[in-house]
Amino acid sequence: MTDHESGDDTTTDGAEWYTKRFWDALRSGTFLLGSCDTCQDAHFPPAPVCPHCGADADTTAAEGTGTLYSFSRQHRTAPAFDSPITIGTVELAEGPRVLMRIQGAYESLEIGKEVEILVTEYREDYDRGPLSGYPMFAARPE
Amino acid sequence: MPEAHIAGIGTHPLGTHDVPERDLATHVTRQASADAGVPLSDIDGVYMPKPRPWTKQKFFSTAFVGYLGLDVTQNLEIYTGGTSGGKAMHSAVADVRSGRLDTALVLAVERDSVVETERYFEYIVSIFDREFGSPFGPSVPGVYAQSLRRYMYEYDVDREDVASIVVKNRENGATTPEGLFDSSTDVESVLGSDVIADPLRLYECPALCDGAAAIVLTSDPVGPRVTGIGHHHPPSHLSGVPDTSMATLPAVGPSVDEAVSDAGTAIEAVDVLEPYAPFPHIEAILTEELGLFERGEGAAACARGETRPDGRIPVSPSGGCIGRGHPAMVTPLLNYVGAVRQIRGTASTQVPDVETVLTTSEHGHVDGMTTTIIEATST
Repeated sequence: MTDHESGDDTTTDGAEWYTKRFWDALRSGTFLLGSCDTCQDAHFPPAPVCPHCGADADTTAAEGTGTLYSFSRQHRTAPAFDSPITIGTVELAEGPRVLMRIQGAYESLEIGKEVEILVTEYREDYDRGPLSGYPMFAARPE
Repeated sequence: MPEAHIAGIGTHPLGTHDVPERDLATHVTRQASADAGVPLSDIDGVYMPKPRPWTKQKFFSTAFVGYLGLDVTQNLEIYTGGTSGGKAMHSAVADVRSGRLDTALVLAVERDSVVETERYFEYIVSIFDREFGSPFGPSVPGVYAQSLRRYMYEYDVDREDVASIVVKNRENGATTPEGLFDSSTDVESVLGSDVIADPLRLYECPALCDGAAAIVLTSDPVGPRVTGIGHHHPPSHLSGVPDTSMATLPAVGPSVDEAVSDAGTAIEAVDVLEPYAPFPHIEAILTEELGLFERGEGAAACARGETRPDGRIPVSPSGGCIGRGHPAMVTPLLNYVGAVRQIRGTASTQVPDVETVLTTSEHGHVDGMTTTIIEATST
C-alpha cells in the first residue's frame, strides 16, 4: 500500500495542499511551525520536507511569542490595503523569522521589542482565494 | 572554446514612451547591429527577459523573430524578476561559448508608463508568498526598508552616509545618455524627500520608467569579452535567509566567486563596479560582501569618496538603478552597456584605463544574484 492509499499526509506520491493544516490550526488559535526530528530545526511556513536538512518534516505548535527583528511603515501599497501600514519581521521564540503586520504605535516600536502573536480577523479587500474567511495573524508588542 | 564578445550595444533614453515595445525593441536591436557591424541576418539567437506581465504583446520573442525575419537556433524569454536580464545574457554567453551559435542578440524592453500605479502595486503584492506574505499588503521598498533598519542598527551606520550613495549615483547618472535625471541632488534633499517606507525616502527608491537595450554577442574576437558568469540563490524569498542577518547579502559571495573563478581573475583586478543596487544600502552592503570594505563601512566609504569615479573603487559610474532610472528588465543590460563604454573609453562618467568591469543583477531582496565580468580584449 502506498502512503497515499494509507491516507498518510506526508506522502511523496500524491499532491496535497500541505499548509492548509496551518490555517485550520490558526482558526482554532494555534500557530503551527514546521518541525524536524532529524535536525531539530523549526521552520516557517510548515513544509512536508525540512528546508534545512531535507528530512520528512512534521508540525509543532509555536509558543506564540517572539521579538521584533525589523519593521517598516509603508506609506503606499495596493488599493486593497489601507495606508500607512506597519509590516515587520518577527523572530519567533523557536527561531524562524516570520513576516507579519505589527500592531501598536509605530513610534513606540524598536528592534528587539518582545511581541505576542495574535490571531486576527482578516478584513482587507484582498482575494485570498480558498483562504477567504480564514483568520490571519499579527504581532502585538508586549 | 569560443569566447563571447560584446560587439555592439544599443539603447534608448529612459523616460515615458508612446512607441510600442516591439518598436522600441526593433530600434535598439538595429542600433546594436549597426554598432557591431553585424547584419540582422547573422543573428542566430534571441535572449530576453520575458516582458512585464502588463505588456500587451505575449510570446514577445516569437512575435519579434517573425516580425524582423530572424532565423534563429534559439529564442528564450526568462522571468525571475530583476535577474531576468542577467540570466538572458548568461544563457547567450553559454550558447556562444558552447559553439551552439555564433551571434546572439540579448534584448530587453519595458514600459512601466502603461501600467496604472494601483495595478503595479497589486502585481508587487503578488510576488510575495501567496498565503503567508501577500495578504499583509507588502511592498518592495517595505522589505528593503527593513534591511536598511537592520543595517543601521547592527553597524551604527550614519543615515547621511547612506544618503551620500544616492548623491553620488545621481551625480554620475546626470550625464548618462539614457539617464532619467539631468541633475544631481544633495544629502539634505534626499533625507527631506517623502517617506516611502520608513526609513526609506523617495530619492532612495529607484524610478520606474520605460526603456530598451540590446547587445550583440559574437564568437568573433571583436569588442570586450564576457570572461566570467556566476549566479547564486540561497534559500530565501523576500524575507532574508534563515538564521542570517538581513544586513548581509548571502547571494553575493558565491555568485561573485563563481564569476571570478570562471574568468580566472581576482576581485582585486576589477576596475569598476556596475551593480544592480536598487536601494543605497544595498550598494553599500554589496561592496562589503565583495570584501572591499569592512562590514558596516560601505556607506561611510562612499561618503569619503572611495566609490566615486575618481575613488579607490568606482561604483555605478553610470548612475545605476538610482541615478539612471530603473526599468527592472532593462537595468542588467544597461549595466553591461555601462561596462562596455568604460572599456571602450566612451562613458559619460569615464574612469581612466578600465580593463575589467564587474556587473550584477538581483531579484527579490537580493535573494538571487547574477555576476558578470567583462574584460577588455587585448590587441
